Amino acid sequence: MIEQILSNMWYIRPEIALTITCLAAILADVFFKRKALVAGVVLGGLLASGVLLMEQYGVSAPAFSHMLAVDPFSVYFRGVILVTAMFVVLFSLSSVEINNPRLRVGEYYALIVAMTLGMTLMAGSSNMLMMYLSLELTSLSSYILAGFTKNAPASAEASLKYVIFGALSSGLMLYGISILYGLTGSLDIYAINHVLMTMGANRLALLIAGVLIMAGFGYKISAVPFHFWTPDVYEGAPVTITAFLSVASKAAGFSMLMRFMKVTFIDSTFAGPVGTWALIPGFEFTNILIVLSVLTMTLGNLVAVWQKNVKRLLAYSSIAHAGYMLMGLVVLGNDGFAAVLIYFVIYMFMNLGAFFVVMLVSNKTGSEHIDTYKGLGSRAPLLSVAMAIFLVSLTGLPPTAGFIGKLYLFAALINAKMIWLAIVGALNSVVSLYYYVLIFRNMFLREGTGSTEPLKFALSDNIILFLLLIPTLVLGLYFTPLVQFAQYSVAMFGVR
Amino acid sequence: MISIEYYLLLSAFMFCAGVVGVLVRRNAIVVFMCIELMLNAVNLTLITFSAYFGDPRGQVLVFFVMVVAAAEAAVGLAIVIALFRNKLTVNIDEINILKW
Amino acid sequence: MASYIPIFLMLAAAAGLGIILLTLHQVLGPKHPTEEKLSTYESGMSPIRTARERFSVKYYMVAVLFILFDIEVVFLYPWAVNFRALGVFGYVEMMIFIVILLVGYYYILRKGALKWD
Repeated sequence: MIEQILSNMWYIRPEIALTITCLAAILADVFFKRKALVAGVVLGGLLASGVLLMEQYGVSAPAFSHMLAVDPFSVYFRGVILVTAMFVVLFSLSSVEINNPRLRVGEYYALIVAMTLGMTLMAGSSNMLMMYLSLELTSLSSYILAGFTKNAPASAEASLKYVIFGALSSGLMLYGISILYGLTGSLDIYAINHVLMTMGANRLALLIAGVLIMAGFGYKISAVPFHFWTPDVYEGAPVTITAFLSVASKAAGFSMLMRFMKVTFIDSTFAGPVGTWALIPGFEFTNILIVLSVLTMTLGNLVAVWQKNVKRLLAYSSIAHAGYMLMGLVVLGNDGFAAVLIYFVIYMFMNLGAFFVVMLVSNKTGSEHIDTYKGLGSRAPLLSVAMAIFLVSLTGLPPTAGFIGKLYLFAALINAKMIWLAIVGALNSVVSLYYYVLIFRNMFLREGTGSTEPLKFALSDNIILFLLLIPTLVLGLYFTPLVQFAQYSVAMFGVR
Repeated sequence: MISIEYYLLLSAFMFCAGVVGVLVRRNAIVVFMCIELMLNAVNLTLITFSAYFGDPRGQVLVFFVMVVAAAEAAVGLAIVIALFRNKLTVNIDEINILKW
Repeated sequence: MASYIPIFLMLAAAAGLGIILLTLHQVLGPKHPTEEKLSTYESGMSPIRTARERFSVKYYMVAVLFILFDIEVVFLYPWAVNFRALGVFGYVEMMIFIVILLVGYYYILRKGALKWD
């Protein structure tokens, strides 16, 4: 028993590194009170965790008696989360909002690491106890981060709404977990699947449990109708945290949902073609996902059209993207899951890029209103071109990476003979083009009303911008390695 | 021996009362109390099943739920205080800078 | 159900007696209120001012921190019960847990969250 625990420590070395980083950041802040030092500690810790994570490439094993699964799938998502966390720390270093001298930034970095830790654990959780705990670790840290600029009324309000919605949906999810525990007598999702397959369970109770647990996931990935917190929190929170929530938090939620769905509800006797699977007979989880997906992308895109605050507009756009990615889950096949994985890496670069531009503009002008972008094309040409590329990519047009992401999603749908869903997705992309063009038009075709002097940005800001811009363009043309990596990473421990 | 259905019905009732409370109450503090009620209903369900199966794992989850609930309450109250200092109210209807 | 009847009888008798005594006291007892008699009884001390005041927000800070550290004890109980079975390994694990808590404690101490003024 003890030997087993000690030997399993190897599997959580990236997480141990993150825990130590979090504690070190708190202590460094208390002892030295130097913001740059704390940020350095955190960046170093995230890098160390990433290096330790790379050693787990190719491993597929259960850890701590099935509490965690260490497999290519979790390594992939943990990689996305760690890279996002590093970018967010880099963003924070040049954010005017965060470096306000009245704020105590030490806690800010420590909480980012705590949130990263929660999300990396979410990617690997294969026991409902771990799922709940890691979800709450992520949520509790993000509640505080969303309200971090607490003197701004909008930030405190965003934080309160976030905490109430979060607590409500995690309560609903927990009740679903308790029902599932009552039905199967186990918290381990592999054991639950075994019981469901061999003994069966009351279909209605199982459906109620599934829907309630879906509430928890839906809140984390901000799917309609659990999305109400998203626009408010994204608008009220500091831009850096908005970027973090919109990419990493969503990735963690998706990884947990995908693992939960594929392990718990899979029909292990299904004898279809390799790479496809079926859910437990009579259990209508896919239909719920289809409804959620269509509602999520349609509502996200339609409401985004009216937005005047660019941060809020991007919030609705990120809701819509969650809807696109849910389509990949509906397919019930490895190619659908691989498409979601591909989409996430691309989404990470383009969405972080768009938020980074919003942050730089608000650093200089103090505003996130869409009118601020009028005449930006002549004031800051590089920034505007970068923003235009990110927006084209978010729409999903070639030759950018966003096109590849959508291509694989739609291809998976068409292979699974779900052409109508692909059409709904394509129509939604057309709607999204409209509001992305609004920003584009303001930047290049409208005269600025206020100051017309050029905006100058630091070299470090430009480097970060290129770090996000180059992958957005390159992945649109040379994407084979990413696709192969994603297809390899669909493998989950113990699942065909 | 009281049969398991009574415990489950009681906890389902408590849970529903909590959910309704979260949805209709306007005072942020009362909303947090309703969330605690929901979590306690879940705990009762877990304990019931745990005793029924003679399996300690449900009780272990209850320990963690209790701790997380305390942490959630602490964070929530701190946020309510921060908001109260800004707006001098804890009424959710008056907390409305951000909408649509 | 029949075996519960004595309990209900007992409850009814207890409640009835209480109600009768309180009513009789209200109806028959003499009433000579003075200011001294109407004031709050607090262990024989004379009250300084009304107790229905808002508490200082400082109290909230201590209360929240107390809850957080208090609730962590819940994890010490199962460990204490199985202390012998878990042995040195369990002890080391629990010490790691306590050290993480201590970092938090040290943090709030240095930030002055426990200073009253």
